[in-house]
Amino acid sequence: MSKRARLGLSLALLVISMSSLFLFASWTERPADIAKAFPRGIIVVGVDASVPPFASDDGQAVYGLDIDLANAIARHINLPIRFLNIGYYGLYDALISGEVDILISALRVEEARMDDVRYTRHYFDNGLLLVTPADKAIALLDGLAGQKVAYEFGSGADTELRVLEDKNDPVTRLPYELPTYALDSLRLEYADAAIVDAITLRLYQRRFADWRTAQSYLTRDHYAIAARRDNRDAWRLVDGALAALKENGELDKIIALWL
Amino acid sequence: MLNSFRYKSRRFFKLLTRPGWLLLLTTVYMVFSTTWSPVEYVELGEAQVVQTTKPQVCVHTLLENEVQERKIKRSLELVREMGATTIVQFFPWAYFEPGDDQYNWTQADIIVRHAKNQGLRIIARLGLVPDWARPATSEGRATTLNYLPEASFDDFAQYASQLAARYPEEIRHFIIWNEPNLSFEWGYRPVDPAAYVRLLGLSYRAIKEANPQALVLAGALAPTNEVQGSPAGLNENIYLREMYSSGAAPHFDALAVHSYGSTEPADAEPSADRLNFRRVEFLRQIMVEAGDAAKPVFITESGWNDHPRWTGAVRPSQRLQYTIKAFEFAQSNWNWAQQLCIWAFRYPAPLNGYPDNFTLVSPEFDLKPIYYAIQDYARGWERSPSGWLPPPEAS
Repeated sequence: MSKRARLGLSLALLVISMSSLFLFASWTERPADIAKAFPRGIIVVGVDASVPPFASDDGQAVYGLDIDLANAIARHINLPIRFLNIGYYGLYDALISGEVDILISALRVEEARMDDVRYTRHYFDNGLLLVTPADKAIALLDGLAGQKVAYEFGSGADTELRVLEDKNDPVTRLPYELPTYALDSLRLEYADAAIVDAITLRLYQRRFADWRTAQSYLTRDHYAIAARRDNRDAWRLVDGALAALKENGELDKIIALWL
Repeated sequence: MLNSFRYKSRRFFKLLTRPGWLLLLTTVYMVFSTTWSPVEYVELGEAQVVQTTKPQVCVHTLLENEVQERKIKRSLELVREMGATTIVQFFPWAYFEPGDDQYNWTQADIIVRHAKNQGLRIIARLGLVPDWARPATSEGRATTLNYLPEASFDDFAQYASQLAARYPEEIRHFIIWNEPNLSFEWGYRPVDPAAYVRLLGLSYRAIKEANPQALVLAGALAPTNEVQGSPAGLNENIYLREMYSSGAAPHFDALAVHSYGSTEPADAEPSADRLNFRRVEFLRQIMVEAGDAAKPVFITESGWNDHPRWTGAVRPSQRLQYTIKAFEFAQSNWNWAQQLCIWAFRYPAPLNGYPDNFTLVSPEFDLKPIYYAIQDYARGWERSPSGWLPPPEAS
């Protein structure tokens, strides 16, 4: 065998053995340790209860989509739960300092925090939607030129529309004071399309259940749960519970209850 | 000749495709691509002067985390073009004194150089404790960057004095700490006005020794309704009274305060149980009662948020109207308020939460409608008509 072939073979063997080792390690990972994950015997959840419908505080208790989700996760893990209502700026400090075990607070995944934090899979996407009447779906990007597009003045939709216009021909802009006015404008056929976030559309459709629309995501805005990076057990348990809730349809029910 | 060239090329290509060489070249490429970056050369440009008709207009910048110098320069150009005379800029202790008595002023030098060149006045906000100046844990929990043990008060004052001495012309205003009446800002401990006054006193002496022209700002107090004994913090009015009872008066030249509008218009009556823009009038009253009426107030954080769902937010159209009204109100009614600084000009990267909706400019330098509204106001330009349509009605 030539020298080159030997070297090639050695490299291939190295790659195969490393991959096998990795696969073996992941297959044989021990089950998550509940006592290690939540040493207080209770899941302490940090939440900023100022972002309805995800979390609110009526002075007696916190409530909302995130609270229902946290309770469902705790039931799945079979531990009691306690909520700590913390302002947004203190959330991650509370997690890192061990004040709380996890954060469930309509959190977006932040790459910059991943040295300290692990995020679960996402449980909601509140990205911006391009909404059209069901029978007049406009193809994204190319189809918007010259169309009348309704949106909320000064909002994320305003910015996104500017980005779209930079790439394509301009649209006829219909700015309104409220995102619901933008949807009114579409429903009443002043506009050809509207740009709003997913929550706004879902809440609006509760009021106008017969109104049929087509929508496509222009941006993504995923919400996930955060655990401390050094508490892999907590992350595995919570992510596993979230996967189960997605699988058995409970997550969809919780979302439908609030949105 | 041609054959020889082809032969050499083929040999070279063969060499390159050998596994060993390939591996070596890949490694070299990876090492260089991750560690090497071109040196950024940013021209300072001509010295500028702020064109404004409203010198009270000020913004809080966050350039300490801005990696690229050209973005620092661009941010400060936009501040000047907006018509703001002053910036509040954070100078975190943990960044600039990473080891005890070991200073690294690189980032501070860049910020100060560009701010000066744009003709902007700097109010320096000080805080954030380096690892070496705080215990790793306290009562079984990791300490946060806001945890300043009393044993390190002198070190903090020393840092303040070094900063004052380094920029004697460029920085003449120093805010000692941030929102000490919130337990989160006090390292997750119960807030302690008397301890804060001790920190203020040490810092005041150190800064004045370094630069007698400098002004020391106490606070900056956060608006909050937390009652005595709350784990979250303490009402700023009670806190200020306790500061005075602890002997704060001789240790500061002006009071820094935060005055957010929350969900109310700028001219809404101040209230003891609600947070709004004019609530700051209570703090002013306490200063007057304490015999400190001659000292000015600097509103070093203010503004409205237009997040679509946060309970403390208003709609973007309201934010724009309330902010301009706030400047007008302060100008007409508060002769004791030296600056009104909007939180925040721009974040270097998104925070991915409602705080992003406090900014005037996006991380990508998109100027929000509120930027233009403040610019129109500050520069005395004719106000643009409202940028939105009336609600659509069923015909």
